[in-house]
Amino acid sequence: MSYTVNMSAHTILIIEDDRFIGEMYVRSLKKAGYDVDWMVDGNDGLVAARNKQYDVILLDVMLPERRGTEILQALRGGGEDLIPNTKVIVLTNFEQDDESRLAMEHDVDAYLIKAEITPKKLLAILDQLS
Amino acid sequence: MAVVQPEQEPTIHEYWPRYWRRTLFLVITMQIIGLLVVGVALLLSGISDADSLEFWITLIAVLFTTILINWIVLYIVTEPLKQLTAAMAKIAGERSPLSPPNPNADRYAKSGLRPLLRWIYEDTNAKKDSQSTQAIAASDNGVLEAFTHSTSSFVIFDQDYNITIATEHAPLIVTEDGTKRLDLDFLNDTSLSDWIKECDEHVVNAEKTWLYIGTRPVGDPKRRVYDLTATYNKGSAHPVSVLLLEKTGEYGPDDSDLNFIAFAAHELRGPITVIRGYLDTLNDELADVVDAEQKELFERLIVSANRLSGYVNNILNSARYDRRHFSVRLVETSIASIYDSIADDMRLRATSQHRLLWVDLSHRLPTIAADPSSIGEVLGNLIDNAIKYSNESGTIEVTAEQHGSNLEVSVRDHGIGMPSNVVSNLFHKFYRSHRSRETVAGTGIGLYISKAIVESNGGTMSVQSVEGEGSTFTFSLPIYSSVADKIESTGGDSREFVAHNSGSWIKNHGSIRG
Repeated sequence: MSYTVNMSAHTILIIEDDRFIGEMYVRSLKKAGYDVDWMVDGNDGLVAARNKQYDVILLDVMLPERRGTEILQALRGGGEDLIPNTKVIVLTNFEQDDESRLAMEHDVDAYLIKAEITPKKLLAILDQLS
Repeated sequence: MAVVQPEQEPTIHEYWPRYWRRTLFLVITMQIIGLLVVGVALLLSGISDADSLEFWITLIAVLFTTILINWIVLYIVTEPLKQLTAAMAKIAGERSPLSPPNPNADRYAKSGLRPLLRWIYEDTNAKKDSQSTQAIAASDNGVLEAFTHSTSSFVIFDQDYNITIATEHAPLIVTEDGTKRLDLDFLNDTSLSDWIKECDEHVVNAEKTWLYIGTRPVGDPKRRVYDLTATYNKGSAHPVSVLLLEKTGEYGPDDSDLNFIAFAAHELRGPITVIRGYLDTLNDELADVVDAEQKELFERLIVSANRLSGYVNNILNSARYDRRHFSVRLVETSIASIYDSIADDMRLRATSQHRLLWVDLSHRLPTIAADPSSIGEVLGNLIDNAIKYSNESGTIEVTAEQHGSNLEVSVRDHGIGMPSNVVSNLFHKFYRSHRSRETVAGTGIGLYISKAIVESNGGTMSVQSVEGEGSTFTFSLPIYSSVADKIESTGGDSREFVAHNSGSWIKNHGSIRG
C-alpha cells in the first residue's frame, strides 16, 4: 500500500521512550517518505526541537527526565511560541486529569491515545493536518 | 358570652361555661314551652279561665319552681364534666377560672370520678416527665452541640418530608419557595427523594447507604463529598433521618484507587499499542502473501486486539466515572463521522463473526453536540453487544433519526433478546443474566459505561427487547443547533452543560417534593 505524502511537511521529530512503539511509528513514517528523528528521553527531545525546525513533533507525555507537558511549556508556553510553524501532536497512553489535558490541548494540534492509533491512522491524521 | 379574640383557638376551660349556659338555656326554654303548652291547653279546653287569678298564679309558681329545681339538678348532674374540664385545663397549662379538682378528695372516690381524674393527672404528667427527662438527657449528652464541632451532620425529615432538624454543617440550600433541601447531586444513583418514594410504596422500615455523593460540580472548590446513610420508618412522626459523613478530604483528586487504575491502564495500553499497530501493518504488508484463511485469522487477531483496547477503555472510564472524574468536551460533530472513525473495526468484527452489519447514518443528518471519541466507544460497545447476542448470519442495523431537538441512534439486532427482568438490570455494572450463552464473553461493564458516557454527553439511553426476537438499544444526543449557545457559554465542558441543560441537576439534587 502506498501513501501520498504532502511534500511540504516531511520532517518529523518523535519523542517517545517506549522502544517498540517508537520503532513501530518510525518504521511506518519512514516508509511513507518522511524524514524522522527519534528521541527516547525528554531532555534530548527538547534540545532537538530547539535546534531544528520540524514540520511535525510527535510528543509523548510520560517521558523520563522531562515530561511532555514541560517540553510543551518550554516550546510554546510563557507567551512566546518557539515553534510557530510546527504541528504538535500529543501521542500518549496516559489518561491525564482533565485540567492537564485541557492545558495541553490548548497548545497542540491533536491529542491522541496511542492504543487507538495504528501507524496507518497516524499517517492519515498527518495528511489531514497538512 | 365570653369575648373570644379572633384567630385564637378556643381553650379547654372555655368549654365549661359554654356548655353550662347552653344546657341551662335549653332546659329553661323547654320548661317554658312545656308550661305554655299546658296553659294553652287548659284555657282552650275550658278547664281554666283566663280571667282566673289562680290560674295565672299557679302557672307562674309552677314555672319558677320547676326552673329552680332543674337548675339545681343540672348543676349536680354536670358537676363531673366541670371537674374534668378543670382538670384538663390545668394539665394543659391554661390559666383558668376553674379550680382544679383534687383527685384524692373523698367525694370523687365516692362518685367514681377519681380514676378519671387520676388518669388525667398522672398519665399526662408521666408523659411530660419522660419527655423532659429525655430532653435533659439529650442536652446533657450534648448531641446537637457535638455536631457543631463536626463536619458531619444529621438531618431529620417530618411526615411532609420537610426538614425539621438539621445540625450545624448539613449541606442545605433554600429553594425558591423558602423551604430547605439537601444540596446533593446523586448523579446516576437513586436519589434520596426517589428512594423515599419507593419506601413509601413498598416497605415499612428500610436503610440505604450512598457513597461519594457530592454537592457542587467537581472542580468547584466549595464542593463537599459525603457518605450518607438514610433510615426510613413508616408512620413515625419523623419517618426519615439522614446521617452525612463528610469525606471530602478522603475522596480528593489524588485518591489512590483512581491513580492505580490510571497507571494500570497506561501499562496495559503499551503492549496494546504495539499489537494493534503491527497487526494493522502486517495485515496490509502481507496481503499478497497470505491465503484467504490466513487473512481471516489476521482479522480475528485484529478484532481481538481492538476489543482488548475497548475493554481497557471501559474499565478506565468506569473507574473515573464512579469517582466523578469523568467529563468530556462537547463539540459539534456528526454521528456519521463518529462512526467513520470506527467503521473499519466494526466491519471487521461483523465479518469475522459472520454477522451482517448494516449502517445507515447519513451525513445529511443534523450535527450533534457530543464528544466524538467517547461516543465512538459507545457505538463500539453497542455493536459488539449486538454481535454477541445475535445469531449466526444475523443482521445488525445501525440507524439514526431526528426526534425534535435530539438525534436518536439505534443499534438493533435480531438475536436472542432479553426477558423484562434482565432488561431492568441491564445497565448495572457487572450484570450478566444467568441465561447468557456460554459462548458469550464480556465483562458486563460495557453497557454500564456506555449509558454513563451517553449521559455525560447530555443524552439518554434506553433499550427495548423481546425475548427470541432481538433487542434495540437507543441513545439520544442533543442536536447541536438546539444547544449551541449553551455549549458556547460552558465552553463545551460536559459537566456544566449537563447540569444546566437537562435539568438532571435539579432532579438529582436530593429534593423531596416534586
